Amino acid sequence: MSPSEQLDLLATLGYAVFERSSDESFRLLGAAPQWLPAGALTEVFPFLDVFLPDAEEFWANPGSLSMLHSDFWTQTGPAGEDLHFCAIAVAGERKLLLIECAPHRFEQTREFVHYAHQTKLAHDEIARLSRELKRATEAKSEFLARMSHEIRTPMNALLGVAELLSETELSDEQSEYVRIFRRAGDNLLNVINDILDFSKIEAGQVELECIAFNLADVVQEAIEIIGVRARAKGLCLNSEIRPEVTGRLTGDPGRLRQILLNLLSNAVKFTDRGGITVRVRLDQDQPEAGTLHSLHFTVRDTGVGIPPDRVSTIFDSFTQADASTTRKYGGTGLGLAISKRFVELMGGRIWAESMPGEGSTIHFTARFDVAEAASKSPAPKATAPALGNRTLRILLADDSDDNRFLVRGYLRDTGCVIDEVKNGAEVVELFRAGIYDMVLMDAEMPVMDGYAATRAMRALEKERAAPETPILALTAHALKEARDRSIEAGCTDHLTKPITKTALLEAIGRYAPVQPAADRIPVTVESWLKPVIPAYLEKRRADVQKLRVALEQSDYSTVRTLGHQMAGSGGGYGFAQLTKIGEMLEESALAEDAARIRDGIGELDRYLMNVVTE
Amino acid sequence: MVGAFGVGKTSLVRRFVDSIFDERYLTTIGVKIDRKDVSVNGKSLTLMLWDLAGEDDLAQLNVSHLRGASGYILVADGCRASTLEKAAELQQRVTEALGPLPFVLVVNKADLRDQWEVQGKQVAEYGWPTFETSAKTGIGVEEMFLGLAVTIIGRHAEREAGDQ
Repeated sequence: MSPSEQLDLLATLGYAVFERSSDESFRLLGAAPQWLPAGALTEVFPFLDVFLPDAEEFWANPGSLSMLHSDFWTQTGPAGEDLHFCAIAVAGERKLLLIECAPHRFEQTREFVHYAHQTKLAHDEIARLSRELKRATEAKSEFLARMSHEIRTPMNALLGVAELLSETELSDEQSEYVRIFRRAGDNLLNVINDILDFSKIEAGQVELECIAFNLADVVQEAIEIIGVRARAKGLCLNSEIRPEVTGRLTGDPGRLRQILLNLLSNAVKFTDRGGITVRVRLDQDQPEAGTLHSLHFTVRDTGVGIPPDRVSTIFDSFTQADASTTRKYGGTGLGLAISKRFVELMGGRIWAESMPGEGSTIHFTARFDVAEAASKSPAPKATAPALGNRTLRILLADDSDDNRFLVRGYLRDTGCVIDEVKNGAEVVELFRAGIYDMVLMDAEMPVMDGYAATRAMRALEKERAAPETPILALTAHALKEARDRSIEAGCTDHLTKPITKTALLEAIGRYAPVQPAADRIPVTVESWLKPVIPAYLEKRRADVQKLRVALEQSDYSTVRTLGHQMAGSGGGYGFAQLTKIGEMLEESALAEDAARIRDGIGELDRYLMNVVTE
Repeated sequence: MVGAFGVGKTSLVRRFVDSIFDERYLTTIGVKIDRKDVSVNGKSLTLMLWDLAGEDDLAQLNVSHLRGASGYILVADGCRASTLEKAAELQQRVTEALGPLPFVLVVNKADLRDQWEVQGKQVAEYGWPTFETSAKTGIGVEEMFLGLAVTIIGRHAEREAGDQ
């Protein structure tokens, strides 16, 4: 193709072809395209040097390149329309500049980039919505926690006072009123718990536990809890676990119990005669995979049954088989929805079979790991020792007059001495006296909250090298996070309001020290010595064990040395009694009097158990 | 006009030059050049407005397109915090390549203020002359362009006085 033919072709393709002359001007070669306005190139395109800033250098020394492209630029045409151009510098014997008016290529490029931008913007929007959703979920959780707390606080007083009232002399009519009062309160509490559970599931905040448990225990506990209501209605309640089912599993026994309780509770509610049976067998549809065990549970009742068109919807939230069900039987309709979510979290499914008038069978499957064989039989459940005739001195902190009144009422006949305060700062102040056997601590109080107060008391104990006083958080915060927060602050346990009298007494009995605080021995020490006192007493406590070993081996020399050291140092640190015991041990060792040494060690042990510094 | 893609550079220019706002988003490719005659302090002035394609994952800002510019406008979208970071990054690159040119920061889409991720405190930390605009409603647009024009004129006057 000749150069002139090449120029014609380029013109046909829509390019305006200019040659860069030696005088640095541009000369149009060939025919002018239709789109090219009249005038000198630098007047028509005054910013060419900006779009091809390196053109001069390129023409002078193109290197391995044959062309240099500019970006697109858009400028207004004679009729006010947008025209899209790009420029190409071509190296060779002649310095050529091609200008292209490229509406189609421009649009294609724009469509491609536009698509990429829209995609990126959509991703950004999804990310933004996701962040907003997370914030909203957190706000919802916070709201639920707050509402739960605000409802539980007065519920504690309502249900507790009803319990106290039921213990007083009442006529039959009054007893019935109180019974209705308590039952309504319990139902309301169940509704609150259901809503909390459901919200946590919805927010994806439920994590299943993974601990070893005995399947039979879980089934039996559920049967026992529901048994009271079943017996009251004259219903039989049975359970059957097939022998091939492994008894010891790993999973979440609490949630499994909750599912069974929900199903059993419904079964009792909708059954007026006959009985209810819980069965557990291996899931035939799910072969065992390694240690994974898929179980099939059924809860069968002989109750009213479910209409066929409602069987598939009973596991939906806020759904009951019939709108009149709520009126007749009560409930939120959340129990089955919660059970369904728990079952799904356990890798199973839940469904119902029913014939109206003949009863219903709720099936669910769940997967558990087979637990390793326990090396020893599981520890028996800790049972709460009764308070007996122990007279405990309890420090009660709660800003609610009603709740303090309630605890006072619960403990009225126990002989416990109760000192009451309304905020954390007052708790810490009274606690300094070191006379309390236990602290019952509300979490949210003015001035200083229960968490800060607990931390302050634990620090005080550490400073005094005193044994830890049981601090029981007694709060209306029911979520797991609240419990974690109490324990992290140093509380011994976390009790949730509303609390029954039995539960409170059981907890106090469980944690009450065998040795009441009344036996404690306060010792005043110089303030400059306080930092070293904990380590000093720790060493003396270690001496107790050393003395016992020495006595067992008739090693009187060690007893004498330890006694001598104790006698020499005790008084100096402010513990005159330690000096006295040390002298006695030293003398007894010299006389090789084993009985007296034994008494001395016992006295030393008791002293170290009870001494508190001030 | 420089900034991330989709922050509203083209819409700001259209609002200023043609008093038009179009809801459709049309990606700018390369550079779009517009012209606007304005009067600043009684003097007529022609602004040549170079609307540069927004920087994205596909293409970087061609800083050479700012050669010869009297000043520039950094545009961020108040609804996307990342575009403010991008504006700050571009400011650094332009300064490195071309030295300290007059510029203003624009946080656009003031009509969607309730959806803004960009906080006033974040913007203030840069210590730059800043305008909040809405190309959609026109709020702050003219003030922003004229504000930059005044700064540029002031800079020129300073330079001329320095030369004399």
